[in-house]
Amino acid sequence: MRATITQYVPGHSPLHRLDPRIKVVAVTTLAVALFVRDGYAALAVFGATALAAVLLSGVPARWFWRGLKPLLWLVGLTFVVQVLFAPGEAFFTLGPIHLTWEGLERATFLSVRLIILVVTGALLTLTTPPVALTDALAWLTRPLRRLRVPTEELALMVTIALRFIPTLLMELDTIMRAQRARGAEFARGGLVTRARALVPVLIPLFVVSFRRADDLALAMEARCYRPGLTRTRLHPLAAGAGDWLALALVAAVVAVAMVV
Amino acid sequence: MSARAGGAQGSGSAPKAAAGARPGGLNGPGAFGEEPTVAGMGLRCHGLTVVYDEGGRAIPALADVGFSVAPGASVALLGATGAGKSTLLQALRGLIEPEAGAVELDGLAATDEGFADRRRQIGLVFQRPELQLFAGSAREDVAFGPRRLGWPADDVAAAVEAALELVGLPPAEFGERHPYALSGGEQRRLALAGVLAMRPRLLLLDEPFVSLDPAARRTLATVLRRLVEGGTTLLLATHDVDAAWGLCDERLVLDEGRLAAAGPWAFGDGGEQALAGHGLEPPFLVELWRRLGRPAGAAPRTYAAAAEALR
Repeated sequence: MRATITQYVPGHSPLHRLDPRIKVVAVTTLAVALFVRDGYAALAVFGATALAAVLLSGVPARWFWRGLKPLLWLVGLTFVVQVLFAPGEAFFTLGPIHLTWEGLERATFLSVRLIILVVTGALLTLTTPPVALTDALAWLTRPLRRLRVPTEELALMVTIALRFIPTLLMELDTIMRAQRARGAEFARGGLVTRARALVPVLIPLFVVSFRRADDLALAMEARCYRPGLTRTRLHPLAAGAGDWLALALVAAVVAVAMVV
Repeated sequence: MSARAGGAQGSGSAPKAAAGARPGGLNGPGAFGEEPTVAGMGLRCHGLTVVYDEGGRAIPALADVGFSVAPGASVALLGATGAGKSTLLQALRGLIEPEAGAVELDGLAATDEGFADRRRQIGLVFQRPELQLFAGSAREDVAFGPRRLGWPADDVAAAVEAALELVGLPPAEFGERHPYALSGGEQRRLALAGVLAMRPRLLLLDEPFVSLDPAARRTLATVLRRLVEGGTTLLLATHDVDAAWGLCDERLVLDEGRLAAAGPWAFGDGGEQALAGHGLEPPFLVELWRRLGRPAGAAPRTYAAAAEALR
């Protein structure tokens, strides 16, 4: 079992080198525009942009597939719902089921849109280290501090959570193996049996996690961490000409998509 | 007499003396009885190759590992951190599916009838096994394994009592204690009892001495020595060469997933180099013997034997 949530793939592509803040803004803009603008031409523009970015990123296609796989059920569900319930003239009828060309068309359109959205989002997480991502989010949410939202602390929390997801998954894997060695079975029986089979796994996992959280909190305090202080950074984020160019490109893409 | 008294004898004492008075023990079919013996399992593997998939990258963990362990033998599996010891133990128990190679138990191949039963007779104690304790009492935690084996309640109860006794946690005193209320060393032994209660014929231990204080270490070593004397086959993965020297008759040396040495320790006959080349050092008593100008091949295994020889 390997962590796929923090799915950063190290690399040196132009996308990897972009300022994470620019990437967050660009991806958010593209995602919103993708859903605001209807029509095949716009879809083609966004699809081509995503494809170009995928190629530019140098990240192997299987990584994108990996991100897409868990969401396929959503794509499938969207497709089925659209096909079954879209209005129009039926070309195939079986009992209460009417398939229409309009429905099929709508289903394909929405599915492709969803796939483009996931790939665009994956571009951000695949080419940006989690810490850079949370730094970017902390910076972008700075204005909220005026409203007394503890953005720095929230960003740190997210960073720590992300950092420990792979650790927890590995721990989970080890505990499950250990209990399997003691005869536990996790894939047998009904829902209740399976849920009960997880008790010997979840209890140790919680105990270990709480213990680790305590240790981490103490270690941070020992290194003078205090919440509520404005912290300086060793590597402050700095956007260069290339970053602005990338943002301009994204703006151009969105503009084109809006007029086609 | 309790097993704790045995634990107080220290790792250097001659454990055979206590053999007759041992409480409980591991048995064949039926309940634990007076005779604390178990028919050790024979183990053989060949060509074991395990590759981990680390985010699309292939990381070789074991490469073409083959060796055999005779029934009732005690063998140390030595190697620096990351050498593949844990992977090997889990592959032997069938928790990791190897890319290539095979395991034979009691001369039975994986396709033979009875192999699955043999596999269930392997006890694997993970690194820091106390992190896997989950039940509300020591007794309940130890009972988990035997219950999964589908034993009748009486047999489960008997196995639990005997296993607790064997690891030096007398059930009358410790049975109803909460596992997390025990000391680190007691937790470690409780976790061991959870595996011993399933009456393993082959015991695979992954770094059992890690992060134990000296007293807990000594107690655990005494428990393990008794198991070996009772006939259990022991494969002890560790980088603690001193502990291994005191407990094991032979050693395997793993280095970056490859088997670098197998067989008797052979100190004074290339055994030192077999360790030194792979991030390990000879045991204290062997080194002491060498510095005393005595033949390293005749180095004692216990402090008691060393004291006897030096007196």
